Amino acid sequence: MSELGRILLVEDDPRDVELTLTALADHNLANEVMVARDGEKALDYLYRRGEFSTRSHDNPAVILLDLKLPKVDGLQVLQQIRSEESLKLIPVVVLTSSHEEKDMIRSYKLGVNAYVVKPVDFHEFVNAIKELGFFWALINEPPPGSIKKAP
Amino acid sequence: MAVTACFAYFFAEPICSFEVSREELPYFILFVAFAAITAWFVRALRGSMSNFSLPTRSQSTSPEQARGGGYGRFGFLPIATALCAGANFAADTLTPTDIVFSSLYAVVVLMAARFCSANGIIRVAVGCVVLTILSHYLSPPEGPQYVGIVNTGIGLAVIGLVTLLALRQKKAEASLREHSGEILKLNNELAKRARELETSNTELESFAYSVSHDLRAPLRHVVGFSELLQKQAASSLDEKSRRYLQTILDSAKRMGNLIDDLLAFSRIGRTETRKTLVSLDQLVKEAVAEIGQDARGRDINWTIDPLPACHGDRSMLKLVMVNLVSNAVKFTNMRARAEIEIGCLDRENEVEVFVRDNGAGFDMQYVDKLFGVFQRLHLPEQFEGTGIGLATVRRIIHRHGGEVRAEGNVDQGATFYFSLPKAQLAAERTAKTP
Repeated sequence: MSELGRILLVEDDPRDVELTLTALADHNLANEVMVARDGEKALDYLYRRGEFSTRSHDNPAVILLDLKLPKVDGLQVLQQIRSEESLKLIPVVVLTSSHEEKDMIRSYKLGVNAYVVKPVDFHEFVNAIKELGFFWALINEPPPGSIKKAP
Repeated sequence: MAVTACFAYFFAEPICSFEVSREELPYFILFVAFAAITAWFVRALRGSMSNFSLPTRSQSTSPEQARGGGYGRFGFLPIATALCAGANFAADTLTPTDIVFSSLYAVVVLMAARFCSANGIIRVAVGCVVLTILSHYLSPPEGPQYVGIVNTGIGLAVIGLVTLLALRQKKAEASLREHSGEILKLNNELAKRARELETSNTELESFAYSVSHDLRAPLRHVVGFSELLQKQAASSLDEKSRRYLQTILDSAKRMGNLIDDLLAFSRIGRTETRKTLVSLDQLVKEAVAEIGQDARGRDINWTIDPLPACHGDRSMLKLVMVNLVSNAVKFTNMRARAEIEIGCLDRENEVEVFVRDNGAGFDMQYVDKLFGVFQRLHLPEQFEGTGIGLATVRRIIHRHGGEVRAEGNVDQGATFYFSLPKAQLAAERTAKTP
């Protein structure tokens, strides 16, 4: 619990981003959140391409991934991550509105670490995000090579 | 084939009857007519013959049947006729040419019967004519004329008999073809319908999918930001504004529940049923335990009779039980002591399970509306709910091949029934379906 892992939040909806960041801020987890607004940006970040070419070599401690994204969708991002040697160990949590069984099954088949359906109720949503952030950024020991920072 | 035989019979014996003189003219006309009758006949016969052993179009045919040959049901006729022809020759003034001709006739008739096709038969007929004419020149007619007349009569009788048989067969064949045509048409229609249904199902699925994705997100934002506003500005807002805000929140939450229920309802139609043997006793126990959790503090008298096992999808049937039991609990909330009875009626082929309560009941004239989607018979202030529970129940029971019904009276409680095929019967039916 001494170090804070970086969270990569892949979410296209600005309102969802704001709600998520608000929820994480309650736990002082918001500072280490990197937001990518589509799948392409997320892959750019992970591969250190384009605007991210200068960032350090470390991977995020967890990726919170929405499924419905412009350009490259969540499942494609997940597939890409799992097929890349340097990225495949990163914990990925799907954070989606979809209750659909086929999305869930496909995500697990692609090797997702957790599948969370965003609750409609705001309190539940805040709690879910808080717990996710708390667990993955603080409690969980990420694989070697992840970005960590003293809180 | 039988026709060929008659043909041979007709021409085999009384060569004298083929004397082309004025008196013999009727025979000659008959002989010409014969060729035409033969051709028509063969067509009719071949059709009916192939029908004997080929009940459906799709079944494989043996090479013999495919050729239209084989001896079939009339097989005895050509053989018998050939023998008759031979015997006739023998009885007549027997000359070496007669023996040769009778053997030739026998061979030709048997060959025709074995390998006949419409063209083949015509060729055989032509061959017979040529042979007859040849025989006429080679051995001029002798003997009494009446023999020829009698033989011709017998020949005509045989032709008549075979004609009748062939006509009957042809009629049967025609009706069969008509039926199979109809079946084929219906099959095509069905296949078309199935394709249409599949398309609309796919559309529905993608619709439900986008509802699930796209409708929830804005709803979450309405709730989320309203709550944030409530938190941020609660102290500076007056009573009325706070109430407005609360109404926004409540409505958004209600809409969330509606969407969830509707999606769950549509999912029932889309997911496959995984049927196993389900103990209804166990199911009721679980449902009552689940609902009982929420109904703590209420005085409910449960009467649960033993229930049989059923063949069905466990999770779906549990949803049925949970829906019916929670309805019973919900609609008895104004009773000091609620009476809920769960039992079953044993029918011949099915079991009918019922859930009875002493709650608010309903007016029987609206019973048809009870199982509709979003149909409610009470005000939301009286009893909360989205009006989809009983629609879900009906959908699940229909998918199991059962029926639902309800009985009730205003303020005197209600009874909901659902029937399911008996476990044994359902298992047999499942086993039979390939």
